[in-house]
Amino acid sequence: MIFMCKGWRSLLASLLAIVMFVGMAPAALAFCGFYVAQADADLFNQASQVIIARDGDRTVLTMANDYEGELEDFALVVPVPVLLTEEQVHVGNPDILKRLDEFSAPRLVEYFDSNPCEPQMLRMPSAVPAPAAAEADSVGASSDRSLGVTIEAEFSVGEYDILILSAKESSGLETWLRQNDYTIPTGASEVLHPYIRQDFKFFVAKVNLEEINADEPQNLRPLMMAYESPRFMLPIRLGMLNANGDQDLIIYLLTPSGQVEVTNYRTVKIPSDTDVPAFIEDEFGEFYQAMFQTAYEQANKEVAFLEYAWDMSWCDPCAANPLTPAELREAGVFWLNSGRGDEPRIAPTPFPQPGAVNAYITRLHVRYSRDRFPEDLAFQNTGNTQNFQGRYVIRHPYRGEMSCSAADQYRKAVRERQEQAGNTVANLTGWSKTEVYSKIDWLTERSPRRPWWRDLWN
Amino acid sequence: MLKDARIAQISFLALFLLLGISTRDWTLRPELLAVLGASCLGMQWVTRSLLPTLRHQPGVKLWAIPSWESALITGLGLCLLLRGNTVATMALAGGAAIASKTLFQYRDKHFFNPANFGIIVALLLTPDAWVSPGQWGTQAWYLMLFVGAGGLVLRWVGRWETSAVFLATYAGLEAVRMFALGWTADVYLHKLMSGSLLLFALFMVTDPRSIPNARQGRFVWAAAVAWLAFLLQEEFFVSTAMFWALFALSPLTPVLDRVWPSARFQWQEPESCATAPSLIHGLGSLE
Repeated sequence: MIFMCKGWRSLLASLLAIVMFVGMAPAALAFCGFYVAQADADLFNQASQVIIARDGDRTVLTMANDYEGELEDFALVVPVPVLLTEEQVHVGNPDILKRLDEFSAPRLVEYFDSNPCEPQMLRMPSAVPAPAAAEADSVGASSDRSLGVTIEAEFSVGEYDILILSAKESSGLETWLRQNDYTIPTGASEVLHPYIRQDFKFFVAKVNLEEINADEPQNLRPLMMAYESPRFMLPIRLGMLNANGDQDLIIYLLTPSGQVEVTNYRTVKIPSDTDVPAFIEDEFGEFYQAMFQTAYEQANKEVAFLEYAWDMSWCDPCAANPLTPAELREAGVFWLNSGRGDEPRIAPTPFPQPGAVNAYITRLHVRYSRDRFPEDLAFQNTGNTQNFQGRYVIRHPYRGEMSCSAADQYRKAVRERQEQAGNTVANLTGWSKTEVYSKIDWLTERSPRRPWWRDLWN
Repeated sequence: MLKDARIAQISFLALFLLLGISTRDWTLRPELLAVLGASCLGMQWVTRSLLPTLRHQPGVKLWAIPSWESALITGLGLCLLLRGNTVATMALAGGAAIASKTLFQYRDKHFFNPANFGIIVALLLTPDAWVSPGQWGTQAWYLMLFVGAGGLVLRWVGRWETSAVFLATYAGLEAVRMFALGWTADVYLHKLMSGSLLLFALFMVTDPRSIPNARQGRFVWAAAVAWLAFLLQEEFFVSTAMFWALFALSPLTPVLDRVWPSARFQWQEPESCATAPSLIHGLGSLE
C-alpha cells in the first residue's frame, strides 16, 4: 500500500470556505472572553481555536482567534481562575495551531480499485484542515479603587499589553472598563458577576501598536497562559454576549494519556468511516460543513463533537506529520520527559512507535449558542485510549479496459457501492438524493427497467 | 405480579443500557460488558455458594448462584456507569463490588453500595477506569423515563423518600450557590437536568439493603450524601463527586442504624418464620 498526501491546497481552500461561512453567520465575538471594541468597529471573527495542555492541575491555555479589524480598536477580556504574573503569560506561535489543526482535521482518503481482471492495488489519502486563527486586542487603562477594581499586574508580552484585574463588584468592573474606553457589550455586568464571586481574575489584553510593524501583515499571535488550578474548564459565557447565533469553537486538548470529554454536555463522535462519492473530493469543505450542521441539529444542538482522538506519536492515515517534541512544547505540552525537541521525527506510520511521545490529543468541535449552552464547558481527563478520527473514504472504480468474466460482476458491485455512497452522503448532509446522484460519475448507467408487460405479450 | 422488585429493576437497567448504546453514542465494548456481568455473578457464586460449601454450611447448593438477581443488578449498574480499557479493570470492579458485600458487614448487614464500591475501587486502583457524567445529556425525554421507572421501583420497595431527600438537598444547595453567584435560572436548570444525576438519585442512592433501615436515618443519610456530593463537585471540582460522596458516607449506615433501629429490608417476605433468619442472613442485595 502506498500512502500519498494529495489535494492539500484545494482542500485547505474548501475548508476555508467553511470558515468563511461560519464567520459570516454570527457577528461573532471571542470564545472565552469577549472582544471589546473601543470604536464600534466591525467585529468579525471566525471559528475560535483553543489549545489546552493539561497534566494534573497544571494547565497551559493557548487562545487563538481570527480577528480581522483595526488593531487599535480591540481588547480581549477573559476570566482566569488564578492571578497570573508576567512570566506565566507568553505569546505563542500561530503555526502550532495550524499544525495541530492539520494533524487532527477530518480527512478524506482515496482508494483506487485495481483492474478486476489483473489484481494489484494502490491507494492514497488526502487530508483536510479546518479553520485558521490569529489573535487580537487593545486596551486603555487606569484604576479606580472606589470601583473595587484592582490592577493586579500590568505588563507587555510581545505585541500585547496585558492587564490582570481583580474586582469586587461586576458593576464596578463594568464602569471601570467603560471609563477606560472599553466598549462593553450590554449585559456584561450580569455575566461578569458570577466570575467575580468565584474569585476569577480578568485577563485584559490589547495590542501594543508600537510593537507592530506596519509593513508586515498584521497577524496577531496566540496568547498563552500557564497556571495551576483544579478547574478544568473553558469559560464561554462572556463570548456569547454580543453574538447572535451559533459560534464555532475548536478545542485541542493535550494530555499525557487518554481522551478528554466534556462533563456537563454530551460528547458525541462526528459521523465517520463512511464511503463517499468521488465528487466529494472537490466539495469536501461543503460536505463537512453540511454534515456537521446536520449532526448538530440531530443532536439537539447541545453536544460537543469529537473530531479526533489519537496518541500523538502516530496516525493512520496521516493528514500531516505528527508534531515534533519541540512543536508539542510550543503547543504548551510541558510534561514531555525525553524530548529536547530537535530530533527529527520518525516518518508517520500506521503503527505505534514504541517509546514515542507521551501526548494524546482530543479535538472537540463545539457549535454553541446562548440557549443551548448556558454553562461554561467543564472537562475531565479519562483513561479512554480508543483512537478516533473523522475519516471519509472515496473508492475510485477501475475505469480501464476490462475483458474477463469478473468484469460484469465488478461493474454491478461498483454500481451498488456508488449508490450506497450517494445515499450515505444524502443522509449525512441533508442534500437531496437527486442532486447527489447527478454529481456521481457512475461507472455504468442504470439499465432502464424493462416494463413487466413487455414479456407478457411479446 | 413479579416475584420481587429486583426483576423490575433488572428490566429497567437493561432498558437503559440498550437505550444508551443505541441512542446515546456510547461505544461500549461487548466483551467488557460481559466481563462485568460474569465477574459479578462469579463472585456471587464464590461468596455465596463455594465458600459456604467449603465451610460446610448447611443448605448451600454448590451449583446455584443464590440471589443472582442482586448480582445481575450490580453488574448492569456497572455496565451503565463504569468505563475502562481492559478486561482486568472490569473484572476487578465486578469482583470487588460483590466481594464488598461479604467483606464489609456490620451486624450481618453490608453498608457499601456494591456497584458504587466497584466503581471507586476501579477509579482508585487502575489507570484506565473512568465514569462519564455527561453521557446522558439533559434531554427531558430521558429524565422523564428515569423518573417514571425509578418511581415505580421505589414505590415498590418503599424507599422513594431517600431519592426525594437527596434530590431536594442537592437542588437546594445548588440553588443557594447559583443565587449567590448570580447565575441565571437556565444555568441552574442545566445543572440539575443531568441524566446521570437522576439515575444516581433514583437507582443508586436508594439501595434498600445498604442504606439505613429507619426512615429518619435515611433522611439524614441522603441529605449528608447530597451535601458531600455538592461540596466535592462545586468546591473541589471532582466530576465524579456523587460516587465519592456515597462511598465516603456509606460507613455512616451502621451508625445511623444504631441511633434509629428499625427492621431490616428484605426483598421477599420470608416464607416461614423458622427459615427466615438464616435465609436473610447475608441475602443478596440490590446494587
